[in-house]
Amino acid sequence: MWLFLSTEIMFFAALLGSYVVLRFGAPIWPKPHHVHLSEPIGAFNTFVLICSSVTVVLALEAARANKASLAKIWMLLTLLLGTLFLGVKGYEYSAKFSHGIYPAMPHSRIYERPDLYYGSAVRARLDELRKTPVGQVPSALRDPADAEAKSGDTVDLLQRLDAAPADRLSADQETARTRLQQIQKMVMSPDQQAFDMAVVADQVMPLPAEGASHGGGHGAHGLNDAFPWLRLPTVIPGGNMWASTYFLLTGFHAIHVAVGLLVFGIMCTWTLNAKRVGAIENIGLYWHFVDLVWIFLFPLMYLF
Amino acid sequence: MSDHGTHSHGPVTRSGESADETLQHSIESEHGDHHAHGGLGKYLLVFLALCGLTTMSFFTYSPAWPWRDQPQVGWTFMMAVSCTKAMLVILFFMHVWWEANWKYVLTIPAAMMALFLAIMLIPDVGMRNRMVSQERALHMARGADLKVLEKASTEGPFAVQAH
Repeated sequence: MWLFLSTEIMFFAALLGSYVVLRFGAPIWPKPHHVHLSEPIGAFNTFVLICSSVTVVLALEAARANKASLAKIWMLLTLLLGTLFLGVKGYEYSAKFSHGIYPAMPHSRIYERPDLYYGSAVRARLDELRKTPVGQVPSALRDPADAEAKSGDTVDLLQRLDAAPADRLSADQETARTRLQQIQKMVMSPDQQAFDMAVVADQVMPLPAEGASHGGGHGAHGLNDAFPWLRLPTVIPGGNMWASTYFLLTGFHAIHVAVGLLVFGIMCTWTLNAKRVGAIENIGLYWHFVDLVWIFLFPLMYLF
Repeated sequence: MSDHGTHSHGPVTRSGESADETLQHSIESEHGDHHAHGGLGKYLLVFLALCGLTTMSFFTYSPAWPWRDQPQVGWTFMMAVSCTKAMLVILFFMHVWWEANWKYVLTIPAAMMALFLAIMLIPDVGMRNRMVSQERALHMARGADLKVLEKASTEGPFAVQAH
């Protein structure tokens, strides 16, 4: 087991090392709140993993004392805590995805700079919205006539939004609608300035100010939050490299957690008496190692 | 460590144990640490220490942290805290405190190689942005972009409505 763990040390150290080197070599790196990371959630997950490390140790002690039912309770608790960790991680991932933060194109909507290149990407997305297939019209903007439309028909979603009666929109959405019209003018204008694109980017998805509370990253203040179907390109300076490293590191860690949970699941079907001490000790070592990796991942990812 | 296992190779024996006991150890457990050496109290203490240390590194994020304008201080502090936590987990949860020294033969070279690997990345990867082509520089984000975005947020045409 220790031999395996030393290969794992090298594996994660290489990943963490590359992250550190990439992070400090980058000309700009997004602040945690720019990429909708929530420190309290990360800290909570750290706490969950530490608890699970304790429970697995206690399971081992109980098995050593030949108390099989007690060991099973601790083992089940470990399984539960590990699942909780993965659940929270999944919630965090979904918050990233809802902001268009993916490790790669075409899902990723992160642009590095608010330049004319970004402006043309916004223009392209707006053109796409003008030719939305009937099947993809969001329910709020659906028309009774859509039911009779042929499958190849398209709908101009922007026009439909403009025509939507005010009572179908919330106050926030109404402000956002006017804002969207102004932004369309800005990206179409022949004499646009570079600063205009920064204004557009700020309207589509503002970078939250430091210390702003964003409750797990599901805050609603930009156009993309007011109308999730808009999915306009966003600007996060340094965001692409951040997304690549974040998903790689936490993803590999999550895979390790999942493998651990699988083994815990199998062990829960065993009688955990003194004969199983060796097996429990080995999976325990593995689990502590996974905890160890998170101990370094948490400050590096969430607090740096 | 040294007060328990002083042998650096082979099956672990402890001073003061008879040969029979030693044999028993090697049969019962490959690590020879089947004695209940932790106890609930010790694990609870380690657990509380880990929680306390996590709160400490989380504290760097709070407004009360005195070195907010010098992130390097916080980084160093957090890494020190993380290393302490790692030591606690390795020594007590992974039982290395009660183990003989041979485990270090595996883990220390691995850790050193990992460190060298990270250092070797610095010239090629870490310094990759020192010299870049003009085309790359054109599309590369830099600090000024963040300033422009902040300016757009506070002074842009929608600033009064938005804030």
